[in-house]
Amino acid sequence: MSRGTLIYAAQRLVLISVTAVVVSSLVFIGIHQLPGNALASERRLNPATEQALLHHYNLDLPWPQQYVLWIQGLLHGNLGESLVNMGTQITPLLLRETTVSVTLGLAAVCVTVFVGMTLGTIAAIRQNTWVDYAASTAAVVGYSVPSFVWAFLLILLTVAPFYNWTGGTFYEDIGWGKPEQIPVPALALGLPYAAIVARLTRASMLEVIRQDYVRTAWAKGLKARIVILRHALRNALIPVISILGPLITGIITGSVVIETLFGIPGLGKEFVTSILDRDYNIVIGVFTFYAALVGLANLAVDLIYPVLDPRIRY
Amino acid sequence: MSSGTVHAVDGISFDIDRGEIVGVVGESGSGKTMTALSLLRLVPEPGKISGRILFGEQDVLQMADDEIREFRGNEVAMIFQDPMTSLNPVLRVGFQVEEAMDAHRRFTRQQSRERVVPMLQRVRIPAAKERVKDFPHQFSGGMRQRAMIAMGVSNEPSLLIADEPTTALDVTVQASIIELLRDISRELRAAVILITHNMALVASLCNRVIVMYAGRIVEEGPTRAIFKNPQHPYTWSLLRSMPRVDEVAKERLISIKGVPPDLAKPPAGCKFHPRCRFRIDKCFTEEPPLGEVDPGQLARCWVLMKNIQDPESEAMR
Repeated sequence: MSRGTLIYAAQRLVLISVTAVVVSSLVFIGIHQLPGNALASERRLNPATEQALLHHYNLDLPWPQQYVLWIQGLLHGNLGESLVNMGTQITPLLLRETTVSVTLGLAAVCVTVFVGMTLGTIAAIRQNTWVDYAASTAAVVGYSVPSFVWAFLLILLTVAPFYNWTGGTFYEDIGWGKPEQIPVPALALGLPYAAIVARLTRASMLEVIRQDYVRTAWAKGLKARIVILRHALRNALIPVISILGPLITGIITGSVVIETLFGIPGLGKEFVTSILDRDYNIVIGVFTFYAALVGLANLAVDLIYPVLDPRIRY
Repeated sequence: MSSGTVHAVDGISFDIDRGEIVGVVGESGSGKTMTALSLLRLVPEPGKISGRILFGEQDVLQMADDEIREFRGNEVAMIFQDPMTSLNPVLRVGFQVEEAMDAHRRFTRQQSRERVVPMLQRVRIPAAKERVKDFPHQFSGGMRQRAMIAMGVSNEPSLLIADEPTTALDVTVQASIIELLRDISRELRAAVILITHNMALVASLCNRVIVMYAGRIVEEGPTRAIFKNPQHPYTWSLLRSMPRVDEVAKERLISIKGVPPDLAKPPAGCKFHPRCRFRIDKCFTEEPPLGEVDPGQLARCWVLMKNIQDPESEAMR
């Protein structure tokens, strides 16, 4: 990695941190404008206990003061304590859940990239044959079906049999962490985006295989596999990479639905649970993590460019 | 969209010896490039090649995929018109040369790797040792064409086809590329087909000339003879349409009226007759054969320029 790239990455990291702070501030301010307080939904509390609790969470202070305290914590990497489960520190909790979500997200990106590029490439080199039409039809279907529908279909196809064998829900009961649990939700999360990648790869490939340098590669007497993979696909991927940024964002936010459906203990599930529980501290924390994740994912995509295309330098 | 069959190239046949440079000239669309691409079976979709394409004893159309692959770049190598787009932008120049050798069995992996720098030096790329790691965008147009030539000759092919190798380059660079092509064909004793519409280039470089029109050879012969005594009206007009430095401007330049025929609807008889100033009735109905007009010189014409008393004034009418 060149010096320029490192400097560029460092600048981007600073920007990502700023974004995360801004996002969390907006959420913090927004959430404190809601009527009532965090304990409003709890069963009726003894006023003294309630006062003690409010004091424990600094909720008895005016909100600008709370904000200052909270920002101070954030800058030290401390997102505070869960309102519902007293004593649970949010930062380590979210970090743990982020690893789960990132694992799932990466698996989904692999599904997207692998399935999408394979289908797109095959469709392009077999243009206007039944293979092309089948791949294109599959792509339209894949794209039109939202990921939660895929999730239900896949659950019916794969998880439901497991449910009967294990006598319980597949994910929650046996816990998360086994590699064999990853593929099904990753498929559900990645397939709709794989369809987009397939269509883009096909279009890009069709353009590239007509380029002069591909003709040069054939004229040199290279094997078809080398011409397609080394000479055509590598160039065709450059425009495809540019949609990977928004696409990863989609996958990250899509994980909210998928994790909830599959009962995967990740950031997405926490997002839903914390809102339902009105655990405001966690809600803000999750937003902050999401903001950082989206930023980092886009940075990672931008760092792929110079690897694929030597003409791009930061 | 209308569809139809276009016979871009029809019945082309010529001989070429090792060490010889043959120029193929003709207007755009006369089938020069198609002839070359057919020989490598690289005619772009939806183009079709039918009949036979013989290279020596081998029929290129009968070859299995493996055979044609071994043939391309090994027996016959090709250099394309635009060096800016003919090299893969994401692969290092040295690698692209090495890969050309690796694709064939002439050299071992080790030999291919060791030959890259000498090949680049041979095509006179300065500081070849350092530049072997460069990407194409770090090369100038002339250097890229040199790299293309290095790639083309790396397997010591018996035939090298250069398709307008200097058209996309600066005039100053053109001369050095042409010089390089001539020297390298001598060193390797390779036959070279130079496709061009630059008559001056042909005059200075080629031993023999083939003139193409509407997918056919209309005249063929030693360069001197063709330039001195062109027999086909098309060749004659081509030569009269360019100014010459070595002759006092005693003659007016003559243009060829009209455009090349639409090959989906070729004219009957001689394909050149609609634009010909010397046509006779027979030209409208019967296509002339490619006949010998002088030893070694062939022309496809019923009239022949030598039978015309004063072509200049005839053409000016």
